[in-house]
Amino acid sequence: MTTETLRAPRLETPPGGRRGPRLPVRIRAGRQHHAGPVAYILLGIATLASLFPLYWTMVAASTDNTRVTQSPPPFLPGPNLFENLGKAWTDAAMGRAMINSMIVAGAIATSTVLFATLAGFAFAKLRFKGRNVLLMLVIGTMMVPPQLAVVPLFMMMTELGWGQKLPAVIFPTLVSAVGVFFMRQYLSDALPDELVEAGRVDGAHSLRIFWSIVLPVARPAMAVLFMITFVHAWNDFFWPYIVLDMTNPTVPVALTQLSAGYVRDQSVIMAGALLGTLPLLVMFVVFGRRIVGGIMQGAVKG
Amino acid sequence: MASHTSSAPPPAADKNAGPGADRRAGLLHRLDVRGAPYAFVVPFFAVFAAFSFYPLVYTAWISLHDVDLATMDIMEWVAFDNYTDLLTDERFWNALLNTVTIGVFSTVPQLLMALGLAHLLNYRLRGSTFFRVAALTPYATSVGAAALVFTMLFERDFGMINWALGAVGFGEIDWENHKWAAQLAISSIVIWRWTGYNALLYLAAMQAIPRDRFEAAAIDGASRWQQFLKVTIPGIRPTIVFTIVLSTIGATQLFGEPLIFGQGPNGISGGADNQYQTLGLLLYEEGWKFYHMGRAATVAWVMFMLLIIVFVLQRLLSRWRSARTS
Amino acid sequence: MKKTRKLMRTRGAAVVSVVTALGLLTACGGESGGTGGGTKDGKTTITMGLFGVMGIKESGILDEYQKQHPNVIIKADIAGDEQTYYTALQTHMTANSGLKDIQGIEIGRAKELLDTRADRFVDLSKLPGTDHFLPWKQSQVTGKDGKVIGVGTDTGPLAVCYRKDYFEQAGLPTDREAVAELWAGDWKKYVEVGKQFKAGYKGGKVAYMDASSGLFNAMIYGDSQQFYDKSGELIYQDNPTITGAWDLASEAAASGLSAKLRQFQAGWDPGLANGTFATAVCPAWMLAHISEKAGPKNSGKWDVAKAPKGASWGGSFLGVMEKSPVKEEAKKLVAWLTAPEQQARIFESLGNFPSSQEALTAPEVVNMKSEYFSGAPIGQIFAAAAEDMPKEQVLGPKDGTIKDIFSQALSLIESSGKSADEAWQTAGERIDKAVG
Repeated sequence: MTTETLRAPRLETPPGGRRGPRLPVRIRAGRQHHAGPVAYILLGIATLASLFPLYWTMVAASTDNTRVTQSPPPFLPGPNLFENLGKAWTDAAMGRAMINSMIVAGAIATSTVLFATLAGFAFAKLRFKGRNVLLMLVIGTMMVPPQLAVVPLFMMMTELGWGQKLPAVIFPTLVSAVGVFFMRQYLSDALPDELVEAGRVDGAHSLRIFWSIVLPVARPAMAVLFMITFVHAWNDFFWPYIVLDMTNPTVPVALTQLSAGYVRDQSVIMAGALLGTLPLLVMFVVFGRRIVGGIMQGAVKG
Repeated sequence: MASHTSSAPPPAADKNAGPGADRRAGLLHRLDVRGAPYAFVVPFFAVFAAFSFYPLVYTAWISLHDVDLATMDIMEWVAFDNYTDLLTDERFWNALLNTVTIGVFSTVPQLLMALGLAHLLNYRLRGSTFFRVAALTPYATSVGAAALVFTMLFERDFGMINWALGAVGFGEIDWENHKWAAQLAISSIVIWRWTGYNALLYLAAMQAIPRDRFEAAAIDGASRWQQFLKVTIPGIRPTIVFTIVLSTIGATQLFGEPLIFGQGPNGISGGADNQYQTLGLLLYEEGWKFYHMGRAATVAWVMFMLLIIVFVLQRLLSRWRSARTS
Repeated sequence: MKKTRKLMRTRGAAVVSVVTALGLLTACGGESGGTGGGTKDGKTTITMGLFGVMGIKESGILDEYQKQHPNVIIKADIAGDEQTYYTALQTHMTANSGLKDIQGIEIGRAKELLDTRADRFVDLSKLPGTDHFLPWKQSQVTGKDGKVIGVGTDTGPLAVCYRKDYFEQAGLPTDREAVAELWAGDWKKYVEVGKQFKAGYKGGKVAYMDASSGLFNAMIYGDSQQFYDKSGELIYQDNPTITGAWDLASEAAASGLSAKLRQFQAGWDPGLANGTFATAVCPAWMLAHISEKAGPKNSGKWDVAKAPKGASWGGSFLGVMEKSPVKEEAKKLVAWLTAPEQQARIFESLGNFPSSQEALTAPEVVNMKSEYFSGAPIGQIFAAAAEDMPKEQVLGPKDGTIKDIFSQALSLIESSGKSADEAWQTAGERIDKAVG
């Protein structure tokens, strides 16, 4: 048996997905209405509305402070893009912020995926006392708003000497209830019970079953969960804003400080905004299809 | 390559080691089967207990005290004073109301537009992946970047929106200082970031609706609009409920958008007149501008209780509804 | 075989990423632990946290110090807005981490830091070469026990900066002597001139002043007492200095004389660059802001006239943190940076007015003219204004916060259409919250 056959088909066939079986898609699509010109026009407007603010960020980041604050505002890029990016990188601590955000989002996404897969596997395929109660508890934790924890967390981190340090941001978000739930749902469908049983009969211990049977099956879902968690961690705002600041910021913290008069050159501010968004944009361009598929998968399940 | 050994089942070697080892292996096996599930879920609960549950309880404890940010080790017991102070504070009710109005302004159009967008994306399209990824791009933009751009677009003196309004003959709007204008501007940031995301959720649900339902409706003579109302909407109802719940939770926690929109001190107070201060901002202002950690904790708990009340009410309402229909 | 390789990849990738993540974690944990300063390979790194345009970096004297001391590397982090800077500083003080070796202190925060955070600062009372300051300057950062938590950089004698071209179009005199004569002796006259300007100027969207909060600050700092009395009691409600300034500033705000900008915040700089207002009450340290943000294209359009009354608005200090691993080097640096010669040079290049008695009488200070401001003799103007300054200032712990609350209250009148009474009441409530 190869891993290919173990793969759940579900993530492979997001509508329009690259690796989806061709035939069924065409048949289903054949029953869909064709889009008329009105639909294309409306979609064009929606696309424009989605992309224009980003385009204008680039325009503003490429002019200078005087030009960008004039009326009428500029609509075409100017010559100063790299100069402003450079200023944002150094003066506005965006360089530091980007590195920090890479570390934070990378660590959080890695640990979330790992722990979510472990717990998701246990909830989906292992039988143990209190499983349902614990699963309900996991879902219940989604209700707790992050605001509720910030005051004592701040005190805790200060006491630990983690104020303004990255571990203060990483540790509280090492796991995610949504992630656990996502992996559980995925693995209940995608991982055949017989496969786990077969592993047991072979005498493999649970961790080995996890490594050699669950992980290969879970990989596509793990990739999606990694990307989505990475996006969320990269953009996470409330807690990082409280515990970090300009001396050691993540991207959203640095961007807020930019707006709060830390740097007052509007085109440098926009250059900072552009820099802070760039890694995720690249990720979306490269993996857009998979992320879209993953979000749509989660939707049907959730 | 060490992988050869690791991919073969090594316990086989243990089995041949003798009866003593066999028993030990059996014990280990049972221990493993019983214990492993707990070991697998323990990391989640450990982190949650340490960084969410314990703080949650501790927040309640702090909210009964007077604590200054500068001297956090000194806690003075004040019982429920913080709560009575908060509930009699005009700023709290103002922030609550702002949270509700901004929540409505941002959630309702966002979900309606997402529904429309999903419907469009559900057509058979050329370049459907492009449209989908484009719709999702705002979701990739961080709150910080999105809010910065919109703040500039909404700038009073040189923003593009006021320029466009002027160009078509309207007067300039002081987006930041006018209450409803400011709330609309902030809502537009939320709408921009989340419409595409929700549209994809709806789209997924729409594609899961069996086609024969549409065909049956078409045979009954339903127009496309009627099909949309009678088949599509009921078909994706669970997803709609799900997005409403998510957006509502998001709306109660609104923080970054108004903070950045106010650019500095005005952001924390939610405008010079608190005209767009949300509960999240109020919490931050109490704790990290006025340094009253006890009061900040009180705001947090009141927010949580409000959320619980809303959900209990919603449950009661739907139960009452279903009881009435049956 | 295929399966094996796949497995390897997954497992390998997982292990690698976990290890990298942990490695990075520990790496960054160590890095941001101290002040960032220290000595390594014979080179000493000193970190500084500054705000606004204090002139230390902008005038190039930091570079010169590093040239003179090739073994010293100075890293200065400058926050544009002091309020943002101070909020972060407070958190750092509480956590006792994230502090720099040297931190700037604005006068509105001096008292609060002295009362609550003196233990975080190194005592500079015996620092050699620091006996040249105006006596009242150093007393502002001296505790009851004689501990000195900072050394003075600049002071804030006042003038009024104005656009000659706009004055001419409004039919007002443009010569700086004649302009000063228009409002000599009374801030009320300054507002009256504003009304004339508003009536006379026909050239489009130009307001008389940037923000009424500037006027308010100029007026209150003309007296030695503002929000607190000497015993530390809040007296702003009954202090005629405050109520008088409030009445006039709120009148100016309500009569549409200002461009409704918030000083030091985002819209202010474009206002300068695009010339949306004709005057700004300018303490000496604001000249650098104006020339930098209004840019070369407005050079020669601005001029400086004597203010109606003397006042001391702002002024800063440099303190050395107890936590610094390079205290001695940092102390040497702040002494040098605030020495009379350096103060004179900062004034020459930027306009920040010296707090050193010796620098005040230096000929290059007295004879200084500003090319950007139409060749105005700013040395004379500010020296004369400094004569007029109150020689003592009663400080209170929440001075800076209360000043900011009043600025916000004035913008309530300017922009949100509140009445002066409503805004005053709101300010009072917020002050209660902030001090209580």
